[in-house]
Amino acid sequence: MEAGEKSVRRVRTALLYVALTAAAVVVLFPFFWMMVTAFKQPGTEFDPGLIPENPTWENFRRVLSEFGFMRYFLNSVIVAVSAAFFATLFASMAAFAFSFKKFVLKEKIFLLIIASMMVPGLMYVVPQFAIVKKLGWMDTYRAMVIPHLANVFGLFLLRQYMDTIPRSLIDAAKIDGANDFQVYGRIVMPLSLPIVATLFLFAFQFHWSNFLWQLIVTNKSSLYTVPVGLAMFKQQHEQLYTLKMAASAISIIPIAVIFLFAQRYFIEGVTKGAVKG
Amino acid sequence: MAGLVRRLKQAGAKDNLTAFLFLSPFVITFGIFLAYPLFYSLYLSLNRVTTLVNVFENLTFVGLENFTELFSDGLFGWSLLMTLYYAGLMVPLGIAASLLLAVLLNNKLKFHKLFRTSFFLPYVLDLFVVGIVWTFIYSPHFGVLTRILEAVGIDYFSEQGFLGRPETAMPAVVMVNVLKGAGFGMVLYLAALQNIPDSVYEAADVDGASWWQKLTRITIPLLRPVTLFMVIIGVVGALNAFAEIYAMTSGGPSVNVGGKAYGSTWVTGYYLFDTFYVKLKLGYAAAMSYVLLGIAIAISLVNLRILRPKADY
Repeated sequence: MEAGEKSVRRVRTALLYVALTAAAVVVLFPFFWMMVTAFKQPGTEFDPGLIPENPTWENFRRVLSEFGFMRYFLNSVIVAVSAAFFATLFASMAAFAFSFKKFVLKEKIFLLIIASMMVPGLMYVVPQFAIVKKLGWMDTYRAMVIPHLANVFGLFLLRQYMDTIPRSLIDAAKIDGANDFQVYGRIVMPLSLPIVATLFLFAFQFHWSNFLWQLIVTNKSSLYTVPVGLAMFKQQHEQLYTLKMAASAISIIPIAVIFLFAQRYFIEGVTKGAVKG
Repeated sequence: MAGLVRRLKQAGAKDNLTAFLFLSPFVITFGIFLAYPLFYSLYLSLNRVTTLVNVFENLTFVGLENFTELFSDGLFGWSLLMTLYYAGLMVPLGIAASLLLAVLLNNKLKFHKLFRTSFFLPYVLDLFVVGIVWTFIYSPHFGVLTRILEAVGIDYFSEQGFLGRPETAMPAVVMVNVLKGAGFGMVLYLAALQNIPDSVYEAADVDGASWWQKLTRITIPLLRPVTLFMVIIGVVGALNAFAEIYAMTSGGPSVNVGGKAYGSTWVTGYYLFDTFYVKLKLGYAAAMSYVLLGIAIAISLVNLRILRPKADY
């Protein structure tokens, strides 16, 4: 009787692992296949076999040097890092004001800003494009970065967190003669570091993948980001599969590596952000 | 006005000033690039571009003409239908995949973290690039998925692949998004599952409830807030669908409906892009985006109605 129960449990556990492994294979296969193809000799991309026969770096070398992806990668890094930095800075400063300062119509302004999260992102594309064009920003890094620096989700996330910081800490600092800038820089920011890191990573990921916007504000190839470069490459070289997969890998690997090291911040951001419902 | 002045005094002018300093970078960018565009877009929607040179300077006021034209535009109606189709596939499949992964993971396991990482990873990747990779996998003749199916005797996809057939293109596109996004829903469901106290299940065990009864009578009802959130996310995703369509199908392949050709993945997001960026019809695109906004607001209101009264159990 007891032995029977034990073996039932064992079968159940085994089935659980089989199901989880199968699910992981399905979810990750595309990226595995991308890597395999990226290392295959050009012209052998349709050969069956899960491992490339004569693995080569040639595809990476060619997309990076011949097809300009070195430059696109650099552009992606410049855009994503600067945008993430300023979006986080702006949101943290605003969150500090909303959390610790008293000012006119505070909660009404906050609600109005938060309400804008309901607006579908596509709605902004046409008017933002018009504004950027009128400002004469077409084909600049500014055009790619500045219009998306007011990160409403980030403001919400940071304020929620800062509201939990004990007021007594701030009062004590003020008695010691600290001004608002010192309170922000020396007390509130260090205490909010985990959530600030979360926002930075989310903003980085957003701008790394902000394809539509980057596509419409750049016409010069020297300003293309990786996905825009990939879109152009796809139009011109539909058949160069090994190169296309190498270029895709150049976009996917950095964000995947960052994720592997900073996973808990991403997961925290998702669970905290969803609480708003 | 007097009240405002009084409140200004109460808060203290100095406090207001520093608060403004801290707020200004965010609020100014918000104002220029998120608030003003809504009004500017409304203005654009009441105008029409007259020449293709310098499109923003040569606008003619046409009143509500863009909107009346939109409501008699068969292609726009079709795009809304395709968006609904997208959402109709995305919502149930996305919820099912997320819930399945969460329920599987909600056990004492070795490699728990490894599995969680694997499922969540695709969520952070670029949808456009993921779409490019899948296009290769889905492609006819040599696509790896096409070949795997050929190996088990299915040659339905051999000639046109998954994306070349009108009947499979949309499900294939949605499947990419489901697999990419499943980890997101999984994390939410997992957090909710871990919040259900064990005592609830123990009580059910005492009453002799089966595994299935526990799932359908306890777990799923208690996960309702997350499920509703997933519905909203799915519908908003369908309204914003663009990158995956651009990467995989460009709105096609075309299908013949009543003698007219329509794109079988021609969702509103793609139509908006085509109208604005390819055809340069800014006013028309702006009008279209206002219809999208109307739909999004309607959905949020319905959501509030459903969610509010039951939020506190």
